[in-house]
Amino acid sequence: MKRGDSTPRVVGLTLAVIVGVVALGFVPQFELFGMQIKRVDILADLRDNRVDEAVEYEANIERLEEQLAAIVARDTIVEVDTLPELPPVRYEWIAGQARREVRESLRSDDLRGVAESMSVAVEDFDTLEVTRFDNFIDKLVSGDGVRIAFMGDSFIEGDILTSDLRAELQHLFGGRGVGFVACDIPFTTVRKTVKRSSSGWSAYSVMKPKSIPQNIKDKFFISGYVAIGESGATTTWRTTDAFATIDSCTRARVLLYSRDTATVELCLNDTIPHDIKIVGDSRLRELYVEAESINSLGIKVVDGKVLCYGVSLEGNDGVTVDNFSVRSNNGHAIFGTGAAINREAHDMLGYDLVVLQYGLNIMQKGQRGYSNYRKQLCNMITYAERCFPGAAILVLGVSDRWVKSEETAKYEPIGSVDALTAYQRAAADSTNVCFWNTYEAMTALGGMPTFVAKGWAAGDYTHINFAGGRRIANSLVAAIVEPVYQRLKIREQEAQRIEDEVRRRMIKAEHSMQLQIGEVKLRAEGSGAEVDTPQLDVE
Amino acid sequence: MEALFKFDDTLWQRVVSLLEYDPTSPLTLTTGFFLFAFLVFGIGYLVVRGCTYLRVLYVVLFSLYFYYKLSGIYVLLLLGVALSDYVIGWLVYLRRRGGGRGRGWVALSVVINVSILLYFKATDLFVDVVNNIYGSGTLDWESVVVPAGVSFFVFQSIAYVVDISRGEIKPLKRLTSYLFLLSFFPKMFLGPLVKAREFIPQIEASKVSVKREDLGRAVSLVAGGMIKYAVISKALGVLFVAPAFAGELGDGGFVALMAIYGFTLQIYCDFSGYSDIAQGVALMLGFRLPDNFDAPYQSATITEFWRRWHISLSTWLKEYLYISLGGNRKGSFRTYLNLFLTMLLGGLWHGVGVTFVAWGALHGVALALHKIWMRIVPGAKAMGRDMSLLRRGLATVLTFNLVAFGWLLFTAEDMNVVEDMLLSIVNNFSTEDVWAIVEANSVAFGLMLFGYLLHALPRSADDALRRAVTRIGFVGQWVVLVVTIWLVMECGALLSDGSGAGLPMYAAF
Repeated sequence: MKRGDSTPRVVGLTLAVIVGVVALGFVPQFELFGMQIKRVDILADLRDNRVDEAVEYEANIERLEEQLAAIVARDTIVEVDTLPELPPVRYEWIAGQARREVRESLRSDDLRGVAESMSVAVEDFDTLEVTRFDNFIDKLVSGDGVRIAFMGDSFIEGDILTSDLRAELQHLFGGRGVGFVACDIPFTTVRKTVKRSSSGWSAYSVMKPKSIPQNIKDKFFISGYVAIGESGATTTWRTTDAFATIDSCTRARVLLYSRDTATVELCLNDTIPHDIKIVGDSRLRELYVEAESINSLGIKVVDGKVLCYGVSLEGNDGVTVDNFSVRSNNGHAIFGTGAAINREAHDMLGYDLVVLQYGLNIMQKGQRGYSNYRKQLCNMITYAERCFPGAAILVLGVSDRWVKSEETAKYEPIGSVDALTAYQRAAADSTNVCFWNTYEAMTALGGMPTFVAKGWAAGDYTHINFAGGRRIANSLVAAIVEPVYQRLKIREQEAQRIEDEVRRRMIKAEHSMQLQIGEVKLRAEGSGAEVDTPQLDVE
Repeated sequence: MEALFKFDDTLWQRVVSLLEYDPTSPLTLTTGFFLFAFLVFGIGYLVVRGCTYLRVLYVVLFSLYFYYKLSGIYVLLLLGVALSDYVIGWLVYLRRRGGGRGRGWVALSVVINVSILLYFKATDLFVDVVNNIYGSGTLDWESVVVPAGVSFFVFQSIAYVVDISRGEIKPLKRLTSYLFLLSFFPKMFLGPLVKAREFIPQIEASKVSVKREDLGRAVSLVAGGMIKYAVISKALGVLFVAPAFAGELGDGGFVALMAIYGFTLQIYCDFSGYSDIAQGVALMLGFRLPDNFDAPYQSATITEFWRRWHISLSTWLKEYLYISLGGNRKGSFRTYLNLFLTMLLGGLWHGVGVTFVAWGALHGVALALHKIWMRIVPGAKAMGRDMSLLRRGLATVLTFNLVAFGWLLFTAEDMNVVEDMLLSIVNNFSTEDVWAIVEANSVAFGLMLFGYLLHALPRSADDALRRAVTRIGFVGQWVVLVVTIWLVMECGALLSDGSGAGLPMYAAF
């Protein structure tokens, strides 16, 4: 058989390879040089791979109800009267004068392209005559600074979507900096828009209520993470040049809480240290740094015990977008945050728009009824309104999601996106806040299969990536810019109208003046007297 | 452990539905489904391979099914093209025997085939342009999905008719044989394009057999191809090239330059890896497909590059486009113009857009300039092997960079990306953070180094590897294949975020 036909060997080899590869399925997951070597299963498509999400969902609901009960209890606590002499809320360190960016006033033409690209508009259910969203838009129109809190789950983790939203809004309306960044988080995260290195802190997550010490349970801010540090604990935040508007900023505001007197050292741009002695108080405090250009800021606890939330890296004006993503949070984590702390932070930072992006983990294949979730969403909105009075609230609809079918092992629509979207809209409607249909925006871009095909979403047909986030951010920016554009256009038309009117009257005035001159001349000739004609510059 | 063989009662439904076309997971040679399908096919092939007619029919039926799993309903398009050119081929032949040249029929075939290509490649652009001018919604047209491999069978079909009209081949007697030529499943997706006069004798041979050495060579082609295609290219793309192009790794000059070199390796590994697999699978059935790549980045001149890169397409462009335009028979100016036009059209074929035109123009100008250079500089050589070592080294570095920066045009979404990348390299190149970047992307840089080292190996190393794989026998080959597949699956599992089901990059063309 040496020179013979090896075709049977080919078939035999194929069979042997199949047996070998199937047998690889027996090798369990193991670790090699610190890398997780996963189990491979070539028969996976033939198996039922349903993950039991129902159990997780139930657990979430239970936790949610616990926290709701806690809220009701907390609301009955009466605030103690404030004392007349209080330690300062804000410690300032003006290390340099920030140059104010000179921006030409915004013209509608600058926004036309973006505005006309809008595929899905923001639906405003507010019943006020001038709605909170109107106020937000008006601030953009008049060039005042606005601050957006973007709360969400792993969908926006790592600054997906928000980084592009921020970059685009700052590009259009001015503003610098990456916004809020936590001090320390109890697990590793990567964020390309900012670098953070920290050590010596004890960090806690609002999602793990059991591990939180009793005395700080009410100290959580919507960021979802707090870090407690004693002498030696240190964090440095560094800007990155992932986007042009965030490679440096002019203001850094460290948010912290210190019951007793403490000393911290700030270090600007790795060079200039500055000690701040904080007098103990029960309110949220701010260490305010202003400089011509901030590229990094370090904080080190020298003495005492400090609870640090994080820093806000921002400009002196324009748009600031804070990314508050909390992994596997269905939105209920907000109930674990302290209303008082949130309110104090709001007084300090001044939010104009609060975005709630949740729901991806709630959906169950084919499930069409979400009235329970709607109720909880209403509670979340109400809670957010209480924490951020005056700010517009924008609920984002759930994003498109496809799942592997049990019968056919092919990806197909989960079949509940439109249903959950409808319930989310209903929640926004009944609480008089705004709604934006993410699903419709994604459909306008081609839907999840296009996102996967174009590399905008992961192969799980669920999670978008940065490229996908950019597309959705562009759609959301268009939805925000469109009303700004309309208002600017009206304003410009009004200005034009007034200008035209003034010109018309001027022409009329000139005309009548010339008539008068003519009359005077006539009269002078009629009387035969020499009359000086008035020297008028009439063109 | 029994869990591995535990299936629920929906097993049968799943099997049936897996056999159906699923746009979310098209069939390629590297899917698990193909492995099982190939076994089933192979068993039948053992039975029918002795009888020419049965063998041809059997392979054609499987190939059509393969194409259905790849592109769904477009299998009808393939059948339509085959039928129309089969008939036109005969009409041209009969006209030639009658003393004519059958030009009208050739023109008809070209018009049909080119219209198909134009429809699939340019409709989206046309709709976009109209809607941009007259407002969105003027034309309401769903995005056209380009059927996989459409250009490959269309090109081969044109070549078949033209070859008949040039008197180089006789038309095939059986439609099934022609279908075999167009649809033979290993080359269906990404080529190589086969020449009718070279492939037809293999189709209609009375006996096909696979030699021991062939099997060894096939196994080394498949395993090596899979490493290139599904490990190096995929991982490099997901880990470094894609994020670098998306600006996620900053706008440093070093990152930009490495992204360009990374993509240069990625597109080679992707495309040549898949071609190798196709060659290997065909060889396992006793069919020889022509080489499509010959270590192209070792080329010392741009002319040499096009003799070593996507060889079957450059040959096709030369024989059916360049020569049809007049080739070098109409004076030197026309020769340069024809070279330029051929590359420009070649660029346009990859996609209707400014970047592809620029890419085609770059290569067209480079080829024409090199031809002029060869004419006026005494001692200039077309091939690196004829040069002195120093000269060859310098020329190779120059050619490599020309090609690499050409790929930047090829892959960039638009000219802004090109500008950004080039500006980063020119204005923002700092050597300070080089080590930090390499360290942060150590796996990607390791792969890049490995890939380029592999590429730099001489041909003899390749031959030695093939002989070795032949010598290790059945068990050795089995180990090689199982370990390769395991690596590929592991790589897929580790990169699952973002890489998805994954098609070869070139599938888009």
